[in-house]
Amino acid sequence: MQPTALPSVAGAHSEAVGADGEALLVAQGVTKSFGGTLALCDAQLTLRGGQIHALLGANGAGKSTLSKILGGHHRASSGQVLLRGEAVDFRSTREAMDAGVSIVMQETSLAPDLSVLENVFLPELGRPGRLSLSRLRQRGEHILDELGVAASLSLDVEVARLSAAQRQLVEIAKALAGDAGLIIFDEPTTSLSPGEVEHLFDIMGALRDSGRALGFVSHRLEEVFAICDRVTVLREGATVGDDIDVAALDQNALIRLMVGRDLGEIYGADERREVDTAAAPAFSVRGLRALPEVRDVSFQVRPGEILGLGGLVGAGRSEAVEAIFGLRARQRGEMTLDGRRVAFRKPVEAMRAGVGLVPEDRRTQNIVPDLSVRENLLLAHTGARRRPGLGYRARRARIAELFDALDLPIARVDDPSMLDFSGGQQQKIIIARWLLLEPRLLILDEPTKGVDIGTRQAIYRILRDIGATGVAIVVVSSDFEELLGVADRVVVVSDGVSIADLPSDALDEEKLTLLAAPRTSMARTTALLERLAEEHGGAAFWVLPDQTGLVCLNAVVANPAAAPGFAAGEAAQFTDTRVPSAFAAGDPDAAPAFVGEPDGTLATVVVPVTNRRGHDMGRIGVIVPGNGDAARAARIVADIHHLHAPSRRVA
Amino acid sequence: MSATSIPTRKADPDRSGEPAGRSSDPSADPSVEKAASPTRARRSLAKRVAGSLEMRMLLLALAIGIALSLLSPYFLTKANVFNLLDQSVVVGLVAIGMTFVILTGGIDLSVGSVAGLSGIVLGLALREFPIPVAIAMAVGAGALIGLFSGILIARFGLAAFVVTLGVMAIARSLAYILSGQTAISGMPPELSNLVFASFAGIPANVLFLGAMYLLAWAYLTYTKGGRTIYAIGSNKEAARAAGLSTLFYSVLPYVVSGAFAAIAITFSTAQLLSADPLAGNLLELDAIAAVVIGGASLYGGRGSILGTLIGVLIMVMIRNGLNLLGVSPFWQGSAIGGIIILALLVERLVSARTSRHA
Repeated sequence: MQPTALPSVAGAHSEAVGADGEALLVAQGVTKSFGGTLALCDAQLTLRGGQIHALLGANGAGKSTLSKILGGHHRASSGQVLLRGEAVDFRSTREAMDAGVSIVMQETSLAPDLSVLENVFLPELGRPGRLSLSRLRQRGEHILDELGVAASLSLDVEVARLSAAQRQLVEIAKALAGDAGLIIFDEPTTSLSPGEVEHLFDIMGALRDSGRALGFVSHRLEEVFAICDRVTVLREGATVGDDIDVAALDQNALIRLMVGRDLGEIYGADERREVDTAAAPAFSVRGLRALPEVRDVSFQVRPGEILGLGGLVGAGRSEAVEAIFGLRARQRGEMTLDGRRVAFRKPVEAMRAGVGLVPEDRRTQNIVPDLSVRENLLLAHTGARRRPGLGYRARRARIAELFDALDLPIARVDDPSMLDFSGGQQQKIIIARWLLLEPRLLILDEPTKGVDIGTRQAIYRILRDIGATGVAIVVVSSDFEELLGVADRVVVVSDGVSIADLPSDALDEEKLTLLAAPRTSMARTTALLERLAEEHGGAAFWVLPDQTGLVCLNAVVANPAAAPGFAAGEAAQFTDTRVPSAFAAGDPDAAPAFVGEPDGTLATVVVPVTNRRGHDMGRIGVIVPGNGDAARAARIVADIHHLHAPSRRVA
Repeated sequence: MSATSIPTRKADPDRSGEPAGRSSDPSADPSVEKAASPTRARRSLAKRVAGSLEMRMLLLALAIGIALSLLSPYFLTKANVFNLLDQSVVVGLVAIGMTFVILTGGIDLSVGSVAGLSGIVLGLALREFPIPVAIAMAVGAGALIGLFSGILIARFGLAAFVVTLGVMAIARSLAYILSGQTAISGMPPELSNLVFASFAGIPANVLFLGAMYLLAWAYLTYTKGGRTIYAIGSNKEAARAAGLSTLFYSVLPYVVSGAFAAIAITFSTAQLLSADPLAGNLLELDAIAAVVIGGASLYGGRGSILGTLIGVLIMVMIRNGLNLLGVSPFWQGSAIGGIIILALLVERLVSARTSRHA
């Protein structure tokens, strides 16, 4: 923990900012129920000035609900919240803001048609009295300046034209404009590239050092270790780890707290079957283009295989599967289903051919709130039906079977509304909707979003079970842990292009994070690789190695004779590359130097790279024909280090 | 982010290790079961009555009927009841189409003008063609105008309110132009058989109205198209993702609405044996009011044809009752408007209470 050496940013209320270590906000026994379901059950949280406090939990643990209660979006059913020792019960976000509590939301709460300036001071518009636009502008410039983004973010640009990262900055500026002494960041990193995440963490660090209390809601452990001082862990709505020093924890202990069981158990790791890799693909798509989001996506999935489509939020995965399903116009792309060419123009064609899609957003794309549970369940049946009647009766037996298999209460199948069910049950009903059609290919977009852990486990089991019957399954997910846990193979999509197709075994979350980074954020590295390959008449690559193999993030070949034997987005065992000696264990602390292959044809220099936080970013290497000399190696090392030298530039 | 119900605070890893967890089944929670069971049977009937909007509105209709029969001895006479039914025909038919439109979340402001224009088409066609052909032409004209509005709204994404407002003006203006600004009379007297013929003592137009409501009810309840209309109004995006033909069934209600406006004016023309370009003026307001009183949500997805029928009867009864009581026609607008708003306000409060209990 650092003392509050920096002056407080943007002149926050002095009383709004607690001294370092002093509890600014204490929430005790907070309980919240929605309809019949408890989202929070006796949750605790303590936030202190000058600290970043992680609120950690798996999907559906109640993190967002708790932070929304603190921010005035929801009201607690019971429990108490003390702000600077006084009990508060915010009835609106305005009350919370007036008390100095702000949330930077997952789905941003900005008005897209208004300018940055107007959005930053939106809460001001609701206050009585006259506005001085020139004074607001001055304050706005001051805030952006303090955030260090005055050069990259104009106050006059419309918010609709900003990137996800820039919008987040606007949200932060908005919180600062309200003199917030306590800012809660609700999953702020899900749509950011690694470079943007770092920039955000820099800003959060500065805010902490100004004495503010920061809450950081996340389910990504490595982020907690990177930035947070203390952590509170929620599981199934209850606090299971209260105010723990991050330094005192290791990753495994944290996972056990979050999940309450082993990860392998959730994903049924020991029940995973071997997929017949020789089988012809059940479905394939090549060169899919559905502008603007989808530019070039290709993948194939075999019968019984679970394929993960990974990437950042906004990478174009949802749009790609919607385009496949005929929900979105395609400009290009060849698709085959069971070897036959297909081109679905609308969903009903895909459904009749045996394709099902569970779209991402349950509330807007799946649930029809005014129809009964049974009719919701039969909605896809109705859609696929050719005759004018409903034919509900014929499905009665199958519904009973599915409800039994999915552990849903059959007594509630005629309930008038699905909205009284928990998120997990709703999701199961939606999955059952598609299982009724007995698809050949089932695509699920973020199937466990907002779902409790018990239901997640059940959903993974369902996916394995239907996979066992030979159905090909595609799962789109931004939760890398889930992707690696549930999928046999992962195709990574970045900026609308499928860039890697790897078995899950070859990956871990960090590799996936780097693979998923937008290509634009890699531009400098790519330029470096191109320059190195060209200048040295060989090939340059960027890889993430582990004990026996590597995943290639990027490779540029200027001289085919020096090709490394792996390409961008591929995994390879060291022994299968053309330069195995280069990766053979050497002294890790020795200065990088050329290592020649035994046959003397190629020599390679491999340089470890880290970002300016000291985070391991893998290795960059250069292959040259013949033998490299020490001077050349030194030049290469200098070039690479120059790229990764600390800089204040936003990636 | 929401979680399933959590029966115990201390999550026992063994229990939660069970597939899907016991917590997903509410009946497995003994405390819930015990609390609800003793009064469940008695409560459920009362709850079903209170929970069904049609039932509530039926009770309201009965209450109004009883009140009026106490206030006016003439109200419950056979002649007046037939009078009531007769007055229900025109607005009742238009309200069927309006129900279709409102169920999809749209609105059709043009029905009054479309009725006026269709009446003129009917009058002109009767000069050249036999009665059935002329009626078919009038209904076809109404349906065609509905198709025009529907395509603009569903295919080109224009606001229903604005499109039908424009069509309302266009149709009325065409009615004046085609008619030469005067009523068309001199129609074949056989046309009035539509109204004055009767079967088993019930007038043909009332029978026709009943048959149409039965048909519309069956369509909306038991066919793919009917359920699609509900689904579109409730969540169009989800309906589309589930493979329903959202475009077709978004256009269809406007076609139905236009056709029913024309059918309604056919009965009215048959009664008067004259077609007036001004006919059907403000008919849209009565139809919308009836549908809304009948419990439909203007946001779509919620409502029923039975509710609309009750809504029509309430409207007609109130107007009839006010006439019987000798209330000045100038005050009748205030009375009807006030009663509509009051009914909706009460309904809003009641349904908010029941849904919170559910």
